[in-house]
Amino acid sequence: MMQTFQQDCVELAFRRYRRGEVDRRTLLAGLGALGVLPLAGGKAAAQEARRLVMVNWGGIANQGFGRFYGDPFVADNPGWTVVQDSTGPSAGRIRSMVESGRVTWDLCDSSAASSVLLGRQNLVAKIDYSIVGRDNVIAPGFVLEYGAAPYSFSSVLAYDSAKFPDGGPTSWADFWDTRKFPGTRLLRRDATAMLDAAQMALGKDPANLYPLDVRAALRKVQELRRNAVFWSSGSESEQFLRTGEAVMGIVWHTRATVLDKETNGRIKFIWNQGLLQPGIMVIPRGNPGGEMAQRLLASMLAKPEPQVGLLGLLGNGPTNPRAAAMVPQDLRRFNPTDPDNARLQVVMDGNWWGDNYQRVNADYIDTITG
Amino acid sequence: MSAAGRPGAGWWLLILPAFLLLVVFYLAPIVQVLAISVTEPEFGLENYERLLTSSAVQRVIFTTLRICIITTALALLLGYAIAYAITLASPRARGWWILAVLVPLWISVLVRAFAWVTLLRRQGLVNNTLMEAGLIGEPLPLVWNEFGIVVGMVHYMVPFAVLPMLSSMREIDPRLLAAARGLGASRGEVFRRVFLPLSLPGVIASGVLVFIFSLGFYITPAILGGGKTLMVAEWISLQILDLIRWGLGTMMATVLVVAILVTLAVFSRIVDLRRIFGAGA
Repeated sequence: MMQTFQQDCVELAFRRYRRGEVDRRTLLAGLGALGVLPLAGGKAAAQEARRLVMVNWGGIANQGFGRFYGDPFVADNPGWTVVQDSTGPSAGRIRSMVESGRVTWDLCDSSAASSVLLGRQNLVAKIDYSIVGRDNVIAPGFVLEYGAAPYSFSSVLAYDSAKFPDGGPTSWADFWDTRKFPGTRLLRRDATAMLDAAQMALGKDPANLYPLDVRAALRKVQELRRNAVFWSSGSESEQFLRTGEAVMGIVWHTRATVLDKETNGRIKFIWNQGLLQPGIMVIPRGNPGGEMAQRLLASMLAKPEPQVGLLGLLGNGPTNPRAAAMVPQDLRRFNPTDPDNARLQVVMDGNWWGDNYQRVNADYIDTITG
Repeated sequence: MSAAGRPGAGWWLLILPAFLLLVVFYLAPIVQVLAISVTEPEFGLENYERLLTSSAVQRVIFTTLRICIITTALALLLGYAIAYAITLASPRARGWWILAVLVPLWISVLVRAFAWVTLLRRQGLVNNTLMEAGLIGEPLPLVWNEFGIVVGMVHYMVPFAVLPMLSSMREIDPRLLAAARGLGASRGEVFRRVFLPLSLPGVIASGVLVFIFSLGFYITPAILGGGKTLMVAEWISLQILDLIRWGLGTMMATVLVVAILVTLAVFSRIVDLRRIFGAGA
């Protein structure tokens, strides 16, 4: 299975913990929030109705989400607990749980496209916007019919500046220009963000990017195919750039940030024309916590401070409009939703992708593996 | 099985509990899942129609077959040479040989794939050595393509090729070879006309085993292919977990299961299958 952004984030943070950049006390606090122990106890069963289960992609997300999403909610709602489950809520797993009729998950870390796909198959609940505040996000793309985003991430252009002493690429058009910037390209093995970038390279106005001209964008990818490698996991994308296998790539901003810091700026990235994406959470249909899951989501969107905390730990960008101003100066450069950075990027159209993902991604995979 | 050796009904009752357990907890769920291929999105053979109409589906199948056939051929060739050397080796050396064949089996497939990446990439050991020796000017494309995948898969499969061939070669009576020599055959002729035909059942058994294993490969192609090659196992996972097109995914899973059963059925007429899976000779 393709690694998702969330999985990669926790992997990155875990590495920071191992290097001592995040202290053990923080990790232990997170393990407390993890809730694996209470799940086993008989006492927990008695509290069934007053417990919400958040599902993430494992590793240190347990800690990050527990501390910055779960704890603030628990503080406001005495008697409730929020536990983290790191099973990895892929669309396929959500479907099998809902169809089996035994739903144990309340809130799942998903994606815009998946939320639309799942919603169309009646597998997730609609977001109740009388509970979840629509105005608590910076752009409409972060509050969708079947999911809302308490965090953001971006697909950006990263490049090896040592290979381009006369100045690096500044746009997707440069990314596709292998004459001016020779060398192997790095793309994700998933259509989202890749075709959007190809469409911009074709010269379409970023302000009116959607609907994408899928055929033209796929042809554009086809042009690069022979001279490109494709990543499935974030660590893979980092390795390709770090070891010089590729000179330029479309990677998640969190990996680009790490590369920038650890290579002392040899590998740089630009926010210009980056694809800003919502980290969408969905509620499986028939979830045990019912409406309380909507309230948990509402709390996650409404509180800017924990979102800034998560940016520091995992690198996920805040989505609350008040958060950017609270970000410490040295972190702002790496915050995708900082006004200076957000201005340069394009918010990905999750609804367009939801309607087209199945077909377009199949065609994309077909194109790059052809 | 001879009529005299046919077990009575009482013996069958003994395995009945195990049989029922297998049916209820293993076969029934599998059939249930595979049945999705004819019920989704609607009842019918629509998903199977794609086998004939969709070039993407066909390409995945042909890519898988091509890689598996190449892998099987190379694994057999290398495996045969190794098995032959082991057969002729002294008993003491034989032990070491067999250990050397088995050790890679105990190393995780993930570790081995990454080891190949380290060796084969642009700035890897192989390319760096060749460049420094002045043999090549530009790094060779050794990985992120089908070449890399085949290297990784052959490496994984060689032990599986060696073992059945070895057991079949060791059953060959050495006196036959001596007799052939005594009757005036050259070394080459002894190999070609005596040893090779006698070892052929082992070769076929190894071929079937390696081919069937290769069909389900997932991790090695994913890591060494640079994302540009898609084999059946990964394609199924993509359909089930990410695209939620269960009908298509289970269709391909069914095709895979049927392909394996047909391969086994065909070859069971040629070789004793029990030997492949290690049952007593």
